[in-house]
Amino acid sequence: MRTSLAETRQIEQYLLQLAPPNEMLLFDAKLLLDESLQEKLQMQKKTHEIVKQYGRKQLRKEIDAIHQMLFTSAEHRSFRQKIMQIFSR
Amino acid sequence: MNDIAHPLLTAADRETFFIALYKSAFPSVARYIARMGGSADDAKDIFQDALLICYEKKIAARDLIKASEKAYLIGVCKHLWHRRYREVQQVDSLEGIDIPEKTESPTCEESRLMNYLEKAGKKCMEFLRAFYYDNLPLADAAILFGFSGTRSATVQKYKCLEKVRETVKQKSLTYEDFVS
Repeated sequence: MRTSLAETRQIEQYLLQLAPPNEMLLFDAKLLLDESLQEKLQMQKKTHEIVKQYGRKQLRKEIDAIHQMLFTSAEHRSFRQKIMQIFSR
Repeated sequence: MNDIAHPLLTAADRETFFIALYKSAFPSVARYIARMGGSADDAKDIFQDALLICYEKKIAARDLIKASEKAYLIGVCKHLWHRRYREVQQVDSLEGIDIPEKTESPTCEESRLMNYLEKAGKKCMEFLRAFYYDNLPLADAAILFGFSGTRSATVQKYKCLEKVRETVKQKSLTYEDFVS
């Protein structure tokens, strides 16, 4: 693995707390000495947040497509009617 | 991680899972929301939020749902309804269920970044989503995305992380310059 990829992997292990305690400590020490590593850590942390938001956004799209399908296709008419009755009272 | 097989590997698996929950739990939820004076749109919004919570619980294998999924989902919906309208301060404590804080709405900067990544970085975002959001095991993700093995999938995962990280950096710098 390329050096930079190995470093990215280390950052990941640190962020997700997958590294053993001694490696976590070692990484803490590296962070103190290396500003560019600190920045990479921050950006990678943000990347994880963005990926989570992205995942949620895509999942919402999938769920919404299912809703549309259930409420429009002929196959699910009885289900749809059951729900519509609840709100028509 | 753990040894329990991942329950929902593909988009088709997720679809089956969500349809089954819609069929089994949505009528009860709709009746409840209607009784509380809510509309069909309220029921839809709340149910969809609850499905997302239920999905995240299910795939975070550390946090398996102990009650039945239907019961869990209905419990989450009631909780979300009360939280939304704050009509009732005291929400029934749902056995073994903790509900995440309101899912944060992205800032303007994050939305821009997201729109950019959805277009320019879709492949990597999909791949990273599979790992970090859908929690797919490496071997399954490798197959799903057509890699020859876990090794090349791992390399690709870190390449994608670097690529997106670089974009995040570039975009947040431009935005900081803009606001300061």
